[in-house]
Amino acid sequence: MGSVSIRDARKAYGNVEILHGVSIDIADGEFVVLVGPSGCGKSTLLRMLAGLEEISGGEIAIDGKVVNSLPPKERDIAMVFQSYALYPHMTVGQNMGFSLKLARAPKDEIKRRVAVAAQMLSLDPYLDRYPRQLSGGQRQRVAMGRAMVRDPKVFLFDEPLSNLDAKLRVQMRSEIKQNHQRLSTTTVYVTHDQIEAMTMADRIVVMHDGIVEQIGTPLELYDFPDNLFVAAFIGSPSMNILGGKLQAGSFIAADGSAIPLPFAPTGMDGRVVSMGIRPEHFVLDPQGLSAQIITVEPTGSETQVAMRLAGHDVVGVFRERITARPGEHIQVRPEQGRIHLFDGETGKRIKHS
Amino acid sequence: MSAVAAAPSKLKRTGLPVPLIIIGSVLLVFVCLFPFWWMGLSSIKTLRELYTIPPIWWPSMPTLDNYRKVLFESNIPRYFLNSVVVSVGSTGLALILAIFASYGFARFNFRGKPLLQSFVLVGQLLPTAAIIVPLFITLRVLGLVNTYWGLILVYMILTLPLSVWMLTSYFKAIPVELEEAAIIDGASRIGCLFRITLPLSIPGLVSVLVYAFVTTWNEFIFALCFATDSSVKTLPIGLAEFSTEFNTDWGAVMAASVVMTLPIAILFLSMQRLFVGGMTAGATKG
Repeated sequence: MGSVSIRDARKAYGNVEILHGVSIDIADGEFVVLVGPSGCGKSTLLRMLAGLEEISGGEIAIDGKVVNSLPPKERDIAMVFQSYALYPHMTVGQNMGFSLKLARAPKDEIKRRVAVAAQMLSLDPYLDRYPRQLSGGQRQRVAMGRAMVRDPKVFLFDEPLSNLDAKLRVQMRSEIKQNHQRLSTTTVYVTHDQIEAMTMADRIVVMHDGIVEQIGTPLELYDFPDNLFVAAFIGSPSMNILGGKLQAGSFIAADGSAIPLPFAPTGMDGRVVSMGIRPEHFVLDPQGLSAQIITVEPTGSETQVAMRLAGHDVVGVFRERITARPGEHIQVRPEQGRIHLFDGETGKRIKHS
Repeated sequence: MSAVAAAPSKLKRTGLPVPLIIIGSVLLVFVCLFPFWWMGLSSIKTLRELYTIPPIWWPSMPTLDNYRKVLFESNIPRYFLNSVVVSVGSTGLALILAIFASYGFARFNFRGKPLLQSFVLVGQLLPTAAIIVPLFITLRVLGLVNTYWGLILVYMILTLPLSVWMLTSYFKAIPVELEEAAIIDGASRIGCLFRITLPLSIPGLVSVLVYAFVTTWNEFIFALCFATDSSVKTLPIGLAEFSTEFNTDWGAVMAASVVMTLPIAILFLSMQRLFVGGMTAGATKG
């Protein structure tokens, strides 16, 4: 069990700084997901935590102990790699017991702990096989088993599911989640897939260009994104962003159409803002704004509609079945209290209550 | 071959017709093996039969007399021992040094690495004749002329460059994540090398081993210059000694050649599968 504290961590290769001071506090037993587009520095941060990359600045502490200069084996962490990184010349059992063998644990102890982990992951029939004889999902489980056998303070996952096909990914997702609920070991999980982040995390850290954009629970990020980047990154299909300005309690879009706001931001008349509306927060309303339909994509349970609203191409998701055809108009309005406003210059959320 | 045979018969064969392939292969094998066959044959002929024209394809009276001469009346057994000591010694030394040098080149970035890597090859580019005199002077100063160590070191110089390059590309083809996983599992750098990288590089190591051994086993010029005493002379020199100014005992030469070829043939055949695997893996992945 262990907490993790990252204080102003920086990473630079030569003169190029790619992590510009990241601070995250992770409580004991928490499942934290680092998410962001490729190149945002999330994997680098994880590798710094693991000790595979040097820390150029700042401080990383595990369980209250600063680990900046400690080698990986003294940090009491275990890592699951994207490519699984199973040792091809060792059997499943040997792979899982390798760390204990290096630590000179007694043979029967190794055997016992490997057996426990193997049973938990239903790998017991495969202990004598080699990694090449396993399927992708089984390899993934061996990689997790190798981490679990050590009973470390912190689990690190580096995009562990991106090599699996879609169906297996969903299944492994819930397996990882279940294992975490059973073991409650502090977990730091890196992914670029926001669905994975939303479904697995206790808390999500959204990263972008080497900085932390926002830290919060999945629903906090969904309901109250701090800025345009988080707003657009979390949620699928992603949030519609409309450019315009505020005037007399309404949002005036670029083409001049007005969307009344349920709240009246005072003293902000004329301010340039972006309005965000999630596709699922449009409702059909005969008194609403007129939108021209571009395409209709029914999935059975819901209907996804691409439409042109107030001079912008937007996407709406409706529980109702839409019978209108492309080119026709429907009347929609944003759901009450579900409108997000962001400053036009800084992209920061404009708080209202 | 088995992969081709196992492929569904519905697939249409491409390329040359089968009879042509068989004829071609037989011809190639014949051309390659003929010298060996002739060597073996000549070693059991009597001296008179050796010189007949047209040549005799099968001796009327096969004799082991040449072998008796080579094994009991010449220096060949001693030379064989010398060759074994020198080849095993220099191959072992080259392999150990190549492993560490290649691992460094493959896994670490340091100042001057490209320059060092090129310098490793430069030794290989120099013509033998150009380095023979400097080497001789060096060995004489060090007191290593006519010693096992002298030949072992010279042969190591000869085989090390290519060994380093072969192993470097082999090591590079092994995913870094495996070593990172091992480091997180608690292995040291040396532990990574010996527990992860080397076991996965066995085909590469075997290629280097076979290459270095065969090269040193067959080497002639350096042995001729640096080993003038019969206590350190190697087999290729021994072969040449059967030729004197006026006469060459071809029967004995052939018998000695067979003796010299056997270890190489055994080495090749026993490691053939690993060796071939190593050559192709290095070629495609490196």
